[in-house]
Formats: sequence, C-alpha cells, structure tokens
Amino acid sequence: MNEAVAEAPPIELIGLNKWFGAFHVLKDIDLRVREGERIVVCGPSGSGKSTMIRCINQLETHQEGTIRIHGRSYGRDARENDAIRREIGMVFQSFNLFPHLTVLENCTFALTWVRHMPKQEAEDLAMSFLARVRIPEQAGKYPLQLSGGQQQRVAIARALCARPRIMLFDEPTSSLDPEMINEVLDTMVELAESGMTMVVVTHEMGFARKVADRVIFMDQGEIVEEAPPEAFFAAPRYDRTRLFLSQVL
Amino acid sequence: MANTSSPLADSSGLPPAEIFKPKPARAAPASTLGIQGWIRQNMFSSIPSAVVTLLGLWIVYAFLDAILTWAVGNAVWEASNRRECLDQVGRSGACWPGVAAWIPNLIYGLYPKDQVWRINLAALVLLVWAVPLWLPRVRSKVQIGLSLVLLFPLLASYLFLGGEKGAIWSALIALGFAAFLWALLTTATEMTTGLSFTRFVVGALGATGRSEEASRRIGFAALLVVYAVSLLAVQAMALSFVQTRLWGGLFLTTVISGIGIAVSLPAGIVLALARRSRMPLISLLATAFIELFRSVPLITILFMFNTMLPLFLPVGVEVNQLLRAIVAVCLFAAAYMAEVVRGGLQAIPRGQYEAASAMGLGFWQATGLVIMPQALKIMIPTIVGNFIGLFKDTTLVSIIGLFDLLSMARAVGEDTRWLGLFLEPFFFVTMIYFVACFGMSQYSLNLEQRLSAGERR
Ligand SMILES: Nc1ncnc2c1ncn2[C@@H]1O[C@H](COP(=O)(O)OP(=O)(O)OP(=O)(O)O)[C@@H](O)[C@H]1O
Ligand SMILES: [Mg+2]
Repeated sequence: MNEAVAEAPPIELIGLNKWFGAFHVLKDIDLRVREGERIVVCGPSGSGKSTMIRCINQLETHQEGTIRIHGRSYGRDARENDAIRREIGMVFQSFNLFPHLTVLENCTFALTWVRHMPKQEAEDLAMSFLARVRIPEQAGKYPLQLSGGQQQRVAIARALCARPRIMLFDEPTSSLDPEMINEVLDTMVELAESGMTMVVVTHEMGFARKVADRVIFMDQGEIVEEAPPEAFFAAPRYDRTRLFLSQVL
Repeated sequence: MANTSSPLADSSGLPPAEIFKPKPARAAPASTLGIQGWIRQNMFSSIPSAVVTLLGLWIVYAFLDAILTWAVGNAVWEASNRRECLDQVGRSGACWPGVAAWIPNLIYGLYPKDQVWRINLAALVLLVWAVPLWLPRVRSKVQIGLSLVLLFPLLASYLFLGGEKGAIWSALIALGFAAFLWALLTTATEMTTGLSFTRFVVGALGATGRSEEASRRIGFAALLVVYAVSLLAVQAMALSFVQTRLWGGLFLTTVISGIGIAVSLPAGIVLALARRSRMPLISLLATAFIELFRSVPLITILFMFNTMLPLFLPVGVEVNQLLRAIVAVCLFAAAYMAEVVRGGLQAIPRGQYEAASAMGLGFWQATGLVIMPQALKIMIPTIVGNFIGLFKDTTLVSIIGLFDLLSMARAVGEDTRWLGLFLEPFFFVTMIYFVACFGMSQYSLNLEQRLSAGERR
C-alpha cells in the first residue's frame, strides 16, 4: 500500500446522486469521513439514510458521483469492488445472520471462504470476537435460538471477524425490544472506543451524544446539516432539524 | 414479604419495593393427559363428535374387512391357471399364483433370466455405496454422495447393457468402479481411524510429517492405483449385450425415474438461476424452456420425442427408444423442478444475500453457500413431492411401447394361462408404488426434522 492510499480518508462521497427509477433518492451528497471518526446519521423515514450507507459498500449502485474507500473507487472490475468491500463491515437492522449455520460458523464464514484461513485459526479468531461481544458461550447455538440482542451482537462479531477498517450500522437497535437495546449499544460504544471508523444510522440520540464526532441530519435525499453533537443538539441551524429533534428527543 | 434493603428504595426515595414471587406451576388436569385423555378430548368430546368417530371407525373396518377377505381370507395360493382359481372361490378371492408366476417379469421385464444377476448386483452396489451416507463417523459424505450420483450411472449402464466396450467406454466404466472402491476404502478407514483413505495411505507410508504438497501427491498416487486396479478388473469383465427392448418392469421404471430424479434437481437449479439472471437473453431462454415444457403434457412430449425426433435427425443416426424416453422425462422434470427451486429461492430474504455480499462473497459463493442450502431445505417437501410425481408419471412410457411396471402388470391378464387376471397384478403393483412413494415421503419428513432440529427454538 503506497503513502497516498494510506493517507486517503476512509470514506469519501463526492457529488453522489442516485435514483430509484425516476425517484431521486440521493441528491448531491458530499461526505468525508476521517480515520477513526464516528458519524451518526439521523433523519426522518424515507430520507435516504439507508440508501446512502448501502452505497458506501455498493449494496446499492449509484448513477452519478464518486465513492472512494481509502482512496480506491468502485468501478467495473468486480474483483476490485469485492476487494474494496472487504475493508467494510456492515451490521443490519434485521441482523441477517445465516440461520443454517451456528453462531461460530457464522463468524468464521468470511474467514474461511473469503480469506481462506485454516479452520483452527479462524475459529480462534472468531471466539476472540465472540468474547469481545460477551457471548462466547453461545458459539455452538443456531442464531434463531438467541434473543434479538444476542443475535445483533453476533452480527457485530461476525462483521468484525473479517477485520474491516470501517464499520457501517443501519439502525442496529431498531428491531430490538427496549430491554436489549443497551447491550447492543454498549458493544458499539466499546467498538468506538477502540478507534474504529464508524458510520451509524440510528435514532438513539443518547448514543449520538456520547460517541459521535459528528452528527449528520438528512431529509429528502440531502444532507441538511452536519455538526458535532453538542452544537447539533444545542443549536440546530435549520427549522427542519429542530422539528425532527423535537419529535425524537 | 417485607424487604427493607432494596437498592431501588435507597437511590430513588420510593417506598421499599416488594419482591415479586412467581406462582409455582401446577400439573395439568389428569383428564387431559395420556392416551385416554387424548382420546376423550379429541374423539369423544361431544355427542356429534362421538358419532363421527364411531361412523369413521365403522367405515375403516368395513373397508379393511372387504379388502382382507378378498386378498387374504378367500384368496387362492396354489393353482396352475386361472380356471382352477375360479373353480375354487369364483371372484370372491384373489388368485395369487398368477402374480407369483409373473413376478420375475414384473420386476425385470424380459431381461434374460440368466443375466438377471447383473441387475441385482447393480442394486447391491447402489445400496452399499449409499450406506456410508448414514454412518455418523464417515466425514466424506458429500464426496461419497456426489460420486454416487455422478459415477454410479457409468458402472450401472455397463452392467445393464453389457456388450462391446471400446477404450473410452472402458475408461469411463473403470472410473465408476474406481469411485465405488474409493467409497468403500474411505468408509473403512474413516470408520476405523477417522482418516480419509488418502490421508490414511499417507500415514501408512510414514509420510505424515512431509509437506502438504508431498502428501497430496502420495494421495493422488494412491487414487491412481485404485483406478488402475479397476481398469484391469473392467478389462477382465465380459458381459453379453442385452438390448434395451428387453428391459422392463420395476427395473425399467426405476431406471427411468432414477435418472429423471438425478438429473432434474441439478438441471432445475441451473434453470431457476438462469431464469432469475440479470442477463436478459439467458433469462429469456430459461423462461421459454420452462414455460414450454410445463405447458405441455408429458405424454405429448414423449410422443414428440418418440416419433418426431427421428425425422429431424440425419438418416442413419438412430437414437435408442429408451434413451428418447429418458431425455423427454428429464427435460419435463427439469422444467418442473426449476419452478420449485425458484419458489424456494424467493422465500429467502434479500438480507441473506446482502449480508453475504457485504462480507465480500461473490455471486456464486453467496448462492452456493448461503442461499441454496437454505432454499433447498425449505423445498424438501416439494422436491420430494416432485420426485414421487415423477416416479408415478413414468407409467406413461408404456404408451410409446416400453414395458414399465404397469404395462407388465397388464400383460399378466393377456397370458393364456391367466387370461383375464387383471385385478390381482394391479393390486400388487399398487402396493409396490405405495411402498416406494410412501417410503420417499416418510424419508423426506425425517430428513426435514433432522435438518431443522438444531435451528428451532
Ligand atoms: N429498492 C428500492 N426501490 C425503489 N425505491 C426505494 C428502494 N429502496 C428505497 N426506496 C425509496 O427510497 C427512499 C429512501 O429509502 P431509505 O431506505 O434510504 O430511507 P431511510 O432514510 O433509511 O428510511 P428508514 O428510516 O425508514 O429506514 C424511500 O422513499 C424509499 O421508499
Ligand atoms: Mg433505513
């Protein structure tokens, strides 16, 4: 890896535009995320938050603009795109664990099939991450035998196993019962403290206050406002942001 | 219940919290437990329900009684022709000697009697080859299963057909035989030492410590030896040629439906993936194929292949009639299976595919490792339902002049000694079909339960 790439910011979105058919979902999005920065994205339903972070690892393809991950941009070469993607871990609202594999197999899956790591080594690594999210004792169970909070922590461990340099979270706590939200948020706080670059879509404003370096507010496919959490919550600039905050806080 | 030192009380200034004590669980009322309880609850809970129960029992009894009286009670077991049966019991009892006399034909068709052992041997090989799949200590189940499906047909077709074998054909037969030997050897070594056959050979030669590359070469050499032995064995075998016109009965039914089943699943998977492909041409071709074959009755396809195909082929090229029927059945079954698989694929949430691709898996890996295993599992009942349908549908080949099990049964009543004996052979054939199909469906239930055992809550 050469100097320029090493110094390039983890995520750069430049003039990003996306349409679903005729519907303009993302409008001129510009975003630059620094190494180790924690970004919280919020905004009303349908504002394009999910679409934006899904563009970052190309689960959605965009029509205009550039996405650079550590200086490398997505292109036509599928192998190169897959290589860029491997820098990025993603955690979904609906967990998306593989129900036909055990917790441990879920975690070693990418190591075995993408990195071709020997079995024992992969299992040791997976166990260390399961320990980090505090559920090593569930390794032999199947995902559907776990509670929602435990499943989401497995999903986090699974994403971390692939050793990503960036983690994306799309509403990781939105489908959890209130009792389980905190166990997942705590895991995410620990991850943030370890210096991981994170982009988190969430409505958990407590989490944003505590962890975020920057909060981004989106509406109708645009980034309306971005500011450090103190400024964002104390003195939002736009009426739209104030209205939104008055509803979620 | 007083608890004065609750931590909640200290910090919040609330009155001391009371402790919640769950009630202990009590046993269920005795009248709802056990077999008696179940019978009372489900069969005699009210007067109408009791009436329906009794009526149902009476119908079952009357039905079974009539059948058993005919098939067992009044049946004739020894006679040399149908007249003797009719003289003894008339039509009130079954005339089994007719069926017994025809059993070899019902099972093997017109296959030469002195060559029938070849069919039995193939059946035995199939059985022995499949046994390791049920042995828990055998680890190479996937390889053994694949070798069985892909290479057993090579060996079996030589056993069934016999005749001259050129160099290429010999090599292929030997491949089938070698795979069988390998399956036996690896089962033996895995059962005893836990090592696969090649690993075991490497160990036995004292080469365990050597590099991965070296042990792979030794394993490969061991497989080559097995192949060489099989090649010699195959060279030594000389089986007489048996025309496919003589194949028939349960044997023919099994061959046609077995090939249909083995081909339809992989072909159906490929077609279903092609139909979902983002490439328009591929998707269009797959859709056209599937819809064409699904909208035409199997009989029509069989007729088309039987009578029309020779018209399109160059003069002098002759495709065996059995082969034509098998190709027709395979295409038909693949089209149906494709739709079953597509249904299963649609039931898998998009998120599964997204999670796999977010990890950096490509399309084929995600499909093969994440989507297909889940889809196939939920499709087991439908897939096996299709297999059962296919097994029964092969009776249609009788229409183009092949002597499957059903046509053999019809032939009994045309035998001069057993003229008019139709009911008994059909009853017998019905039982064979029932046992085979019921067995398949039970196996699928069992498979479903085993596969999902761990995943349920
Ligand atoms: N695959 C799709 N095809 C067409 N329209 C879509 C698709 N996915 C999303 N949309 C539309 O794009 C808009 C933005 O969707 P997106 O999921 O990004 O919103 P969001 O901000 O994540 O909302 P939420 O908080 O409800 O998750 C919505 O209006 C949605 O209906
Ligand atoms: Mg969303």
